[in-house]
Amino acid sequence: MPSNRLAPIRTLLSRDRETVAEEWASDVLRAWERNYPNMISQDETRHQMGRLLAEIATLFADHDGDTPPKIPADSPLPGLAGEISASRAKLGFRPTDTAHFVIALKNVLTRHLVRMVEGSQLDLVVCLAAVDDVLDRLALMTFDAYVEARERVIAQQSLSLVELSSPVVRLWDQVILLPLVGIIDTVRARQFTERLLEAISRYEALVTIIDVTGVPVFDTGVAKHIMKAIEAAQLLGTRIVMTGLSPEGAQTLTKLNVGFGEVTSRASLRAGVAEALRMIGRRIVAIGG
Amino acid sequence: MNGSGATGPFAEQSLWVRAEADVAAAMRLVRQLAKSAGFNTTETSYLATVATELAANLWIHADGGVVHVRIDAALPGIEIATSDSGPGIADVTLALQDGYSTAGGLGCGLPGVQRLMDGLEIDSRAGNGTRIRTWKVNRRAVR
Repeated sequence: MPSNRLAPIRTLLSRDRETVAEEWASDVLRAWERNYPNMISQDETRHQMGRLLAEIATLFADHDGDTPPKIPADSPLPGLAGEISASRAKLGFRPTDTAHFVIALKNVLTRHLVRMVEGSQLDLVVCLAAVDDVLDRLALMTFDAYVEARERVIAQQSLSLVELSSPVVRLWDQVILLPLVGIIDTVRARQFTERLLEAISRYEALVTIIDVTGVPVFDTGVAKHIMKAIEAAQLLGTRIVMTGLSPEGAQTLTKLNVGFGEVTSRASLRAGVAEALRMIGRRIVAIGG
Repeated sequence: MNGSGATGPFAEQSLWVRAEADVAAAMRLVRQLAKSAGFNTTETSYLATVATELAANLWIHADGGVVHVRIDAALPGIEIATSDSGPGIADVTLALQDGYSTAGGLGCGLPGVQRLMDGLEIDSRAGNGTRIRTWKVNRRAVR
C-alpha cells in the first residue's frame, strides 16, 4: 500500500515554496544583518537559498514511503550547502551563525507542518522526523564545509606568513641582509636558507649580514638551523656577519654551550653594516667631509 | 591551550605537544608564566629556551607528550615538567653530556637545560617513556 504520510512536505515545498523561501530568507537575513551589517549580498543569499530549497523539494518529490529520504551521492545538496557555508566562513562568520541558516529552515518548515497536518499526530511526527533527518544531515554538511574553508584560510595565512617573514635584501654591491623575524621552525629554516643561498649566488655576495633582532628565543634547534644556513652560505664564498643577538640571547647560547665559531658578530645592525662595508673596502662618510 | 587559566601565585597550566607548532606554543606559555612570576628578562629568556628544548624533545623523540608548567610559591619559582610515552632515554648520564645526540641535534639540549635551570630530574628507562622535572628559583622573591 503506497503511503502518503510525507505528502504534506511535498505540498509545502511545491505549492508554498515562495512563502517558505520568503520566511526563511527574512529570518536568516535579519540575524546575519544584525551580526554582520553590510557584509552579505541579500540577492546572492536569496538566490543560494532558493536553489537549496528547490533541491530539497526535488529530494522529497522523488521519494516514496514514510522513512526520511536519503541524500544520494550525486545530489547537488552537499555542494550547495557547502558553498553557502564556505562563503560565510571566508567572511569570518562564526560557526553558529553559519549553521543558523539550516536551523532557520527547519523552524519555518516545522511551523507550517504543524498547521497543515492537524488530523493525525502520527502523520505530523513522521513528517517532522523526515524534515529533521534531512536538515540535520545538511547542517552537518555545512559544518564540515565551514571547518574545511577555515582550515584553507589558516593554511593560506601561514603560507603568507612564511612568504613575508624572511626577505633577503640587497644592501650594497655584494652585501646582502637576511633579517630573521619570529619563530624559526623547520619549514621556515629551509625556506630562508634556500632564499639566502639563491641571493648569495645571484648578487655574488661577499658579505652576508644575518640579523636576529626579531628572533624571540634561542634554543639548540634554532641555533642548528642558523648554523647550517651559515655553513652552506660560507661554501658559496660569502663572509657572515651576525647582528642583533640580545644580551639574554648571548647568555642563553653560552649556557647551552652553543658557539658560532668563526662568525663575526656585532651587537647592532648598525655596527654590522659598518663592519660589512669595511670588509668590502667601503665606508660611509659625511658629504663633503 | 588547555589547563587552567589562572595566573596567580599558584598558576598551573599544561599543554599537549603533538606538532612543531606546539613547541612554540609551549615556549609562549612558559614565557608568559615566567614574566607573571616576576623573573627578569634574562631568566625569562632562559626559561623560554628550556621550554623550547623540552617541547622539541617531545616532538622529535617521543612522538608527542605533555608539558606541565607550575608557578611554585613555596620554591619560590617555576617548575616545568614533561612526560611522554616515547622510546625513553637509554642512558641518562650520556644524554646529559655535551655533544651527545641521537637525532642529529647539537647534543647540548639537555645539558643546556641543566645549566639554565636550578634543578633537573630525569626519570626514564628505554622503552618506558620519559618524565622530566626541572625548576628555577626566582632569586628576587627569596627573602
